[in-house]
Amino acid sequence: MKRESGGEQMEFQGKGPDAWTVGGHRFSSRLLMGTGKFQDTETMVGAVLASGTQIVTVALRRVGRNPREDDMLGPLGELKGITLMPNTSGARNASEAIRAARLGRELCGSPFVKVEIHPNPHHLMPDPIETFEAAKVLAAEGFVVMPYMPADPVLAKRLEDVGCASLMPLGSAIGSGRGLATAEMLRLILRDARIPVIVDAGLRSPSEAAAALEMGCDAVLVNSAVAASGDPVAMAAAFAQAVGAGRNAHRAGLMPQGGGTALATSPLTAFLSVEGS
Amino acid sequence: MVNGEAYEAKPLESVTALLEEMGIGGRPVVVVLNGEVIPAASWNARGLREGDRVELFRLVGGG
Repeated sequence: MKRESGGEQMEFQGKGPDAWTVGGHRFSSRLLMGTGKFQDTETMVGAVLASGTQIVTVALRRVGRNPREDDMLGPLGELKGITLMPNTSGARNASEAIRAARLGRELCGSPFVKVEIHPNPHHLMPDPIETFEAAKVLAAEGFVVMPYMPADPVLAKRLEDVGCASLMPLGSAIGSGRGLATAEMLRLILRDARIPVIVDAGLRSPSEAAAALEMGCDAVLVNSAVAASGDPVAMAAAFAQAVGAGRNAHRAGLMPQGGGTALATSPLTAFLSVEGS
Repeated sequence: MVNGEAYEAKPLESVTALLEEMGIGGRPVVVVLNGEVIPAASWNARGLREGDRVELFRLVGGG
């Protein structure tokens, strides 16, 4: 975007958020999108396009009795500039996740994998031990490993040490829409992480995505927040704007926070009363 | 056996023919035969014998 006034500040505005790199791959969009729960393929593709996302997650399933039904991902493969990232959902342990990752790579032709192991259907919390074991093996095999993980700074460091390409801590439970319930833990992860941090689950509103980026997260991944919204295509666009705003706010640096007393914005010199009277 | 269920198929049929018969010819699927991934390039050449275990996977929407 070109602006006549030039100047560094205006140029910054026009550029939008800066690019980022994960596993040696460069992306300009900081919004990752899931493809589950959409009413139909048309809405899903519309939302993906409106979001400007470049990384889209998909799941792997056995071909069922009626294999002709929904081939919703056909159109996704035709979209330019989109990396498919298969997840390992359905895996209950490391060996199942490793198998799913290898099959996903065959289907997608992409080195990206979202390692996702959540054995308890009630809360869907990621199993830290199985996730760590699977991540270690898959990273050694050359996958770009993106682990869905508890917001635990100790585990984050361990996952980074075994070669994960990013960390994907949850904001709150999958599909819960409870937002950044783990904010304090996310800050601890961000303090030490040397690889991108992506908030993966629990977001409901674009303002929460903006807050994640403002605090220094590199990206967010949303699915239910878009798919289960009133208008998924419009909501996807809203998330894209929020992510851009949050990132630019982080780069700009927030103002210092006051301690409960006001600091005037306008000069407090006498105006209505006559000075010296 | 296809995905754990008994499946009647003529012997010596190729993997490609099986997919056609199931109505998923030309669709992106991964074929695992007796625990081993069969690359698409070998689907025409690889025949199926009685007792073979075929597993088929595809992509679906997911988060």
